[in-house]
Amino acid sequence: MILRTLSRMSVTTRDLSRLARHESTLKSCFDESGGEGLILKSSSTDIFQNLALEDWIHDRVDLQSRSVLFLWRNAPAVVIGRHQNPWQECNLELLRRTGIPVARRRSGGGTVYHDLGNINMTFFTSKKKYDRMRNLGVVTGALKALSPNLDVCATERFDIILNGCYKISGTAARLGRKTAYHHCTLLCSADRSILSSVLKSSCTGIKSNATPSVPSPVTNLSDHDPSLNPSSLMDAIASCYNKEFDLDCPVLTVDPGSEVMMPGIHKMTSDLKNWDWVYGKTPKFSVCTSFMVDNTNVGLEIEIKNGVVESCIMDVHHDWLPADFVKEFCSSLIGIRFCPNEFAVAVAAFIRTTSSSPQHTQNTLRLYENIVSVM
Amino acid sequence: MAACFMLGRVSSNLTYALPRVLHTNVFSPARLLARTCFKRDLSLTPRFSSALKYTDKHEWVRVENGVGTVGISNFAQEALGDVVYCGLPDVGTKLSQSDEFGALESVKAASELYSPLTGEVTEVNHALSDNPGLVNKSCYKDGWLIKMTVSVPEELDALMDEAAYERYIKSIEE
Repeated sequence: MILRTLSRMSVTTRDLSRLARHESTLKSCFDESGGEGLILKSSSTDIFQNLALEDWIHDRVDLQSRSVLFLWRNAPAVVIGRHQNPWQECNLELLRRTGIPVARRRSGGGTVYHDLGNINMTFFTSKKKYDRMRNLGVVTGALKALSPNLDVCATERFDIILNGCYKISGTAARLGRKTAYHHCTLLCSADRSILSSVLKSSCTGIKSNATPSVPSPVTNLSDHDPSLNPSSLMDAIASCYNKEFDLDCPVLTVDPGSEVMMPGIHKMTSDLKNWDWVYGKTPKFSVCTSFMVDNTNVGLEIEIKNGVVESCIMDVHHDWLPADFVKEFCSSLIGIRFCPNEFAVAVAAFIRTTSSSPQHTQNTLRLYENIVSVM
Repeated sequence: MAACFMLGRVSSNLTYALPRVLHTNVFSPARLLARTCFKRDLSLTPRFSSALKYTDKHEWVRVENGVGTVGISNFAQEALGDVVYCGLPDVGTKLSQSDEFGALESVKAASELYSPLTGEVTEVNHALSDNPGLVNKSCYKDGWLIKMTVSVPEELDALMDEAAYERYIKSIEE
């Protein structure tokens, strides 16, 4: 088995920085290589750096007469689609607690969980040559080459399914001015218990037009063929890519953290990390929910635009908190980002500047705790 | 208790909404009439241009009374497939010609939109937030995307007219 795998590794891996001359950038490597294709593998497992490298290639590399395959893996991360709502798609409270980041891609599609047991591949082409089925054929071809008995096929939704029902790969794409990319995941040995717990929303009562994810039963390839591992899969995908596109490219390792190699990439990385992109880009939505505090029912209706509270109404029994006080509290939340830190600051400022009895202050804090629990 | 709260909200919304509905109903025939007269009046004066002009990114623009209405072409909507979300800019966004101004999502792909002209967004098609499929069903009419001012009228002249756009589509299909 090992021998067979090795013999199929017709691709060689080289370190791009060693290949590149002293002051040259990745762009000049592209220009100098002159060929019709390139296969890159990221040395980083940082979701933001890897997404930034996609942006960089998309924006800066001439893809009119050349195709690029980019292979990458990430440390645990949740990645939402361009037009999605993170409050709706994942358990943000759990993600904050576990330190797993949320990233928003520039491509469409649904939410996915990444870790080192999942492979990502990005197929860059001109818009004209954009062909998702052909790319998925590279992936299924690689799987069949390594494990001929696997029953895998691509669906019309551009998923790859195993044994007719378990999803092992999901797709998303971005079409720009002249270039396009299609990227997809491939579950090899991801932590499925974390996957399912982080992809469960903790926020109830969301009303939104954001594109929802379509949950699917998933499986890991290694559960079906223990000999499959991310590294051998990446090599097999690279050789199938060479075969399909009639190329003979080595796999070049690239460090997306290198500003020298890719001028401007640090800015692209920080743009992707920016709260205004990850959360603020969420299509306008509202949260309409209720909860019990000290045997009192509290109704809550918040409208959020660009991630910021646009309106807030709370329905609280006046014996528990006077109506005027609640109204004042609600208006103090307008313009605040829908996130626990900013709410904490806003509530502290409200309490400091509003004269209220200790009981009212305490009740306000109880309200705050419950509101934050839906974030 | 939760249900009570919801009902309370709904009923209060209805009481607010009702007079507004009545209001528009009462005045809409008059408004409609006014609009028709207004239009007829304007058609006597030489119009800026009401023909569709196209970009090579498959957006169209129709300029009437100094305001450009922007949408995507039939060729583009067919290529996209079912549009499930329209990401559009806020009113007041200033755009230069060929700036990215949003994206349409269909079959997991985000297709970026590029402004055909330089100007400021004056209106977005709110019907698309509940019904993005209008872009497929009626790409030249109900499925328009944004309206914008026209800061550089000369830019319009450089865009393709219908015949040129058809030739362009033929050339890329080959």
